[in-house]
Amino acid sequence: MAGSAPEGTQFDARQFDQKLNEVLEGQDEFFTSYDDVHESFDAMGLQENLLRGIYAYGFEKPSAIQQRGIVPFCKGLDVIQQAQSGTGKTATFCSGVLQQLDFSLIQCQALVLAPTRELAQQIEKVMRALGDYLGVKVHACVGGTSVREDQRILQAGVHVVVGTPGRVFDMLKRQSLRADNIKMFVLDEADEMLSRGFKDQIYDIFQLLPPKIQVGVFSATMPPEALEITRKFMSKPVRILVKRDELTLEGIKQFYVNVEKEEWKLETLCDLYETLAITQSVIFVNTRRKVDWLTDKMRSRDHTVSATHGDMDQNTRDIIMREFRSGSSRVLITTDLLARGIDVQQVSLVINFDLPTQPENYLHRIGRSGRFGRKGVAINFVTRDDERMLFDIQKFYNVVVEELPSNVADLL
Amino acid sequence: MTIECVNPEGLRFNQMKSSSHQTLETRMRPILMKGHERPLTFLRYNRNGDLLFSCAKDHTPTVWFADNGERLGTYRGHSGAVWCCDISRDSSRLITGSADQTAKLWDVKSGKELFTFKFGAPARSVDFSVGDHLAVITTDHFVGTSSAIHVKRIAEDPEDQVGDSVLVLQSPDGKKKINRAVWGPLNQTIVSGGEDAAIRIWDAETGKLLKQSDEEVGHKEAITSLCKAADDSHFLTGSHDKTAKLWDMRTLTLIKTYTTVVPVNAVAMSPLLNHVVLGGGQDASAVTTTDHRAGKFEAKFYDTILQEEIGGVKGHFGPINALAFSPDGKSFSSGGEDGYVRLHHFDSNYFNIKI
Repeated sequence: MAGSAPEGTQFDARQFDQKLNEVLEGQDEFFTSYDDVHESFDAMGLQENLLRGIYAYGFEKPSAIQQRGIVPFCKGLDVIQQAQSGTGKTATFCSGVLQQLDFSLIQCQALVLAPTRELAQQIEKVMRALGDYLGVKVHACVGGTSVREDQRILQAGVHVVVGTPGRVFDMLKRQSLRADNIKMFVLDEADEMLSRGFKDQIYDIFQLLPPKIQVGVFSATMPPEALEITRKFMSKPVRILVKRDELTLEGIKQFYVNVEKEEWKLETLCDLYETLAITQSVIFVNTRRKVDWLTDKMRSRDHTVSATHGDMDQNTRDIIMREFRSGSSRVLITTDLLARGIDVQQVSLVINFDLPTQPENYLHRIGRSGRFGRKGVAINFVTRDDERMLFDIQKFYNVVVEELPSNVADLL
Repeated sequence: MTIECVNPEGLRFNQMKSSSHQTLETRMRPILMKGHERPLTFLRYNRNGDLLFSCAKDHTPTVWFADNGERLGTYRGHSGAVWCCDISRDSSRLITGSADQTAKLWDVKSGKELFTFKFGAPARSVDFSVGDHLAVITTDHFVGTSSAIHVKRIAEDPEDQVGDSVLVLQSPDGKKKINRAVWGPLNQTIVSGGEDAAIRIWDAETGKLLKQSDEEVGHKEAITSLCKAADDSHFLTGSHDKTAKLWDMRTLTLIKTYTTVVPVNAVAMSPLLNHVVLGGGQDASAVTTTDHRAGKFEAKFYDTILQEEIGGVKGHFGPINALAFSPDGKSFSSGGEDGYVRLHHFDSNYFNIKI
């Protein structure tokens, strides 16, 4: 594989950096400078019952993003926070939200949006756990569940809503979710939320929120296009950004298998199946139709797999996630629905059956295996048509993707 | 380690040394126990060795059959990470210490919660005394509360159980966690170790500090773990200073030091052979963002007397946080940041290792 990415492609590093500089340079008046680092949770000025919740969760020391990111959010500042996958962003914004709630007012005061139902439910769980001693009322407001139930819960009153844009907008429009007291607005996986697919929904929701509101945006990837959009609705945010070539997780071994032809991917996957089933694995493909196809093929060869994608009904999706989290199912085939944010303890292998169509999703996908404190492996199936893209990914993110050893046991 | 490929003969126990007297290879087939959804924190066998108890950050201590790794049950009631547990001699009572600022007593068989000791700070370490009439519980510092060691009386009848402390020992540095405290011989003393790197022996009757480890030969960084020999004559400590040290339980004299290359989170002593095991790995917060060769999540075996490494067992893909030997010394278990408990029954070759 030779040459550099053509100008203007998604993996054009020079253009990425140039656009990033354009957004950041000469915009110092647009950002707030905040350089404090707090090396313990005790030093952050958090209220006692929040500290209780943080320690009860099992946290002992703040991660790098938490050391820098929790306090400015608690001070009511707008924040843009980027950090590698699995390094503690969720706990950062959950702590920031919880610190600022008025628990005597049982009205929605914070709105957190996430791109998928699974991720929203996961955030809701962390928010609830950290806020246990504060008596926080938090509700996951996601599509595919009972509208009537959502209305009932929201009208009864909650402090925090964590949701997906479609359902949240619907609840706001119906006035089941009243925006009067919302003073914090968080976008998780913000670049996805500000991308073509969600941007209009976010804009519609933002229009319904009070004019004076604190905004926090969080993601492992923050392309210049997303940063550009934040200027429209953020006020002098504190920013914590990571250079694109420092974003990848060096702790995840990344390999490729040269399968030559698309038709040979299935055989390759079956060859690896015994290894897949020892621990927990996620297999990413690019379309829902292909999830169904691959699932059928694997099952017809007597391989036990589970699958999920956006077209499946919510109850089924929930059951599959529960089974996968608890370890009763071990191999999960999915789309980029689960590329972002999902944290399952024992996932140690990600297979890119198809390389992602969006470059950022490469980092997000492999970040499902290496999580805080656990190593992981990512294996990329590469056809001749894919070689160029793999090369571009390596160069863009400054990562080495080696050929998978013929003896998988060498990975031990 | 990330993917484990189990060949028909099982996982290799990697031999470090060889000699003409030595069997070249041993193999153990680990049993992977899945059930915890968050990192493991502690492992403990009951006295008979037929049950293995595990604690994790997911609130639910779990009990497993120690021969085949099947899950027997869970103990539900804590609302925070569970840091430690102990089982009474007759296997009827379980005590657990949790970050939810409580320690709880449970009926092992039914899983029923019998009593809750409430503290104003996370409970870190728990240990029943010989005879099970007392328990020593450590608590962390928290908002104006110093870390401390509490002695509680354990009533035979749960109806008679009260929460009062018989004794409370204050740590010299109230902001340093006391990661482990256990009973000394005949319940006359309490041995503690923690973040200030000092090991202390306290009089369990008067609370007086009797001995403290020599700074010169002692650990240089936080002590993470402590394991007593079966006969209470000595104990082993693990530390972030990348060593484990063997101490005389009465005189607090340093006997041996075992050196490795990563922080030590857990230690265990074989009740059968002169072997100790160290487990650990780089700090969890650095695992995903540093080169993948830096993890070193092996359980390392050392000859107790010669202080030489004799082998290691790979398998975890996160730091090892817990280790325990079965009482008969024929198997051991490890628990990791990866959420797995791994149970290893030693192959007969393990017992023939010679250096």
